[in-house]
Amino acid sequence: MTTTQAQATPDVRRPVAAAGTRHTLGRVLATLARSIAIFVPVFLVATFVTFALRSLSGLSPARIQLGEDATPEAIARVEAQWGLDRPFLVQYGDWFNGVLHGQLGTSWTNGADISTLIGLGLGVSLSVATFALLIGVVVGFALGTVAALRRTTWIDRAITGFVTAISVMPAFVVGIVLVAVLAVQLKLFPSAGYIPAEQGLGPWLAHITLPAVALSFDVVADVARQLRSSLVAAYRENYVTGAVVRGLGPRRVFFCHVLRNGLGPALATLGLKFPSLVGASVVTEWIFGLQGFGRFANDSAQAGDVPAVQGVLVVSIVLVVVFNLFVNLVLARVTPASQRGV
Amino acid sequence: MIRRVLALPSGRIAVVVLAVIAVLAVFGPLLAPQDPLATSDNTLAAASGAHWLGTDYLGRDVLSRLLDGSRVSVLGSLEVALTALVVGVVPGILSVYLGRAFEWITLRLADTLVALPFLLFAVAVVALLGNGITQAMLVTGVLVSPLFYRVSRAATLAVARSQYVEAAIVSGASLGRVVRRHVWVKVLPPIAVALAQTVGVGFVIVSSLTFLGIGVQPPAPTWGGLLASDLGYLSHRPWAPLTPALLIVVTVWACNLLADAIRDVSGEAGRALLNNRRARANRLDKADPAPAGGAS
Repeated sequence: MTTTQAQATPDVRRPVAAAGTRHTLGRVLATLARSIAIFVPVFLVATFVTFALRSLSGLSPARIQLGEDATPEAIARVEAQWGLDRPFLVQYGDWFNGVLHGQLGTSWTNGADISTLIGLGLGVSLSVATFALLIGVVVGFALGTVAALRRTTWIDRAITGFVTAISVMPAFVVGIVLVAVLAVQLKLFPSAGYIPAEQGLGPWLAHITLPAVALSFDVVADVARQLRSSLVAAYRENYVTGAVVRGLGPRRVFFCHVLRNGLGPALATLGLKFPSLVGASVVTEWIFGLQGFGRFANDSAQAGDVPAVQGVLVVSIVLVVVFNLFVNLVLARVTPASQRGV
Repeated sequence: MIRRVLALPSGRIAVVVLAVIAVLAVFGPLLAPQDPLATSDNTLAAASGAHWLGTDYLGRDVLSRLLDGSRVSVLGSLEVALTALVVGVVPGILSVYLGRAFEWITLRLADTLVALPFLLFAVAVVALLGNGITQAMLVTGVLVSPLFYRVSRAATLAVARSQYVEAAIVSGASLGRVVRRHVWVKVLPPIAVALAQTVGVGFVIVSSLTFLGIGVQPPAPTWGGLLASDLGYLSHRPWAPLTPALLIVVTVWACNLLADAIRDVSGEAGRALLNNRRARANRLDKADPAPAGGAS
């Protein structure tokens, strides 16, 4: 999102002691308002494109239900039944209204409620994606921080090399290798399937670990690289030299001066990575035999079930937008002092 | 710029790897020792003299399929990159010049495209709009075009605010002349970096789509399709996915390496100065040492 570049709130300097909390609250609210102002058009355009897919594809429920050799009258009857004979914009308005109320329509192939179908798969996908993000953030932060603290040494070079190596491995290639080595050869992990967390934390983790690791490589690489370069840049700033000269310990310099100022770009990358994480779930869920949201998207797309595909896309857009809103709020929280106007 | 890229070891490696892949793409189907579609009784065989990489579950020669499938993968990724280039760069440069309304609209569109999970969207669009690798790649190209839009817009903004461009406008140069003579030269290196990266991204997307069986007709071989069919027979041939996986990884790696090399020689990264100096020392006889893209 471009918003991440523009979180600076040029608030006026106030008597800090009195208005500290109010100041923070105001800043968070301003960020929230600005982010929402940007995401609302994004959401509108994205849903419009999604809805236009049906008209562009020329697919119709009649083909799926009646087969190829249906009479034009029968096709017209089925289309009228689904409300497809109305003007495009009326259909869009109706559908969009449903989306706002959480109703994504019914599937063309089996008439089931799409919101329910997606809800079934979402738990699987979100477990995997959250775990992948967690791995990505923890490992990426560790690698990036260590590389920045030991910059220009062999440790730094080794980490940079490792990060470059894993950044070129597509999630599905990693997934296949993990299945082949860890699941099929060494039998350390189950190779496919999913067990909900309610049936035991251990099996649940065992089933989502491999897909999450496969998805996390990209995140690890990007977070580590971004964090390393921004931390190194922060170490060169005058205020860090000033802090060292004032006799502050290395730990305090790192946490109070360097990390806080260098965190922004890495967090912003996280916001940008999320859509590709959601997208890559299509492939990883296929490899690991998970009945998640990406698998549902793939299956219904190949079956030509347009409302289901639209539903999946809307849910993914909502996920991305909500996640980026969250990232923006965190970014506003860690904004460098120079931009906060403290 | 090409010569300076070749002066770096990493640039040379990248170019050589990509050249090999390009040769595979152009001549691969001719080099294939056997018919990639011919089935035999000798299924799931290990590597041998007759079948260098063994055979798959229908007894088809894996090496031939790999060579034959390279064209689809490479062409697909080039299509992605070129579509993204055209769709992204033109509005990117124009957004600086065509006024605020155009700027606002294109920025919102770019935001939207970034927010769409593009693999998911590509799967949906391709499956709905008809099965064909070209449609798939055109759509994906549009979806990854915000990268080009951002890059070209940022570079153009930097140039448009520079003094020599102001001087050129004050002395009466037309818009077209300013764009051709000043903007284009500065914008080109970052676009080349983005292009190299996008070819890599495109490669991953093509492989992912073909892996899912989207955009290709079943018997036709592709690298992603080979991986998918190997996945089903892991217990028989555990090392089978290694070759297509390695090919994909190496190609993506070479693309990223090339992007880094271009970035280094065009003076974007911190190391640029050092590398440039070394490169220049190697070729003192070169006539034109003007660094490209110093402003970005």
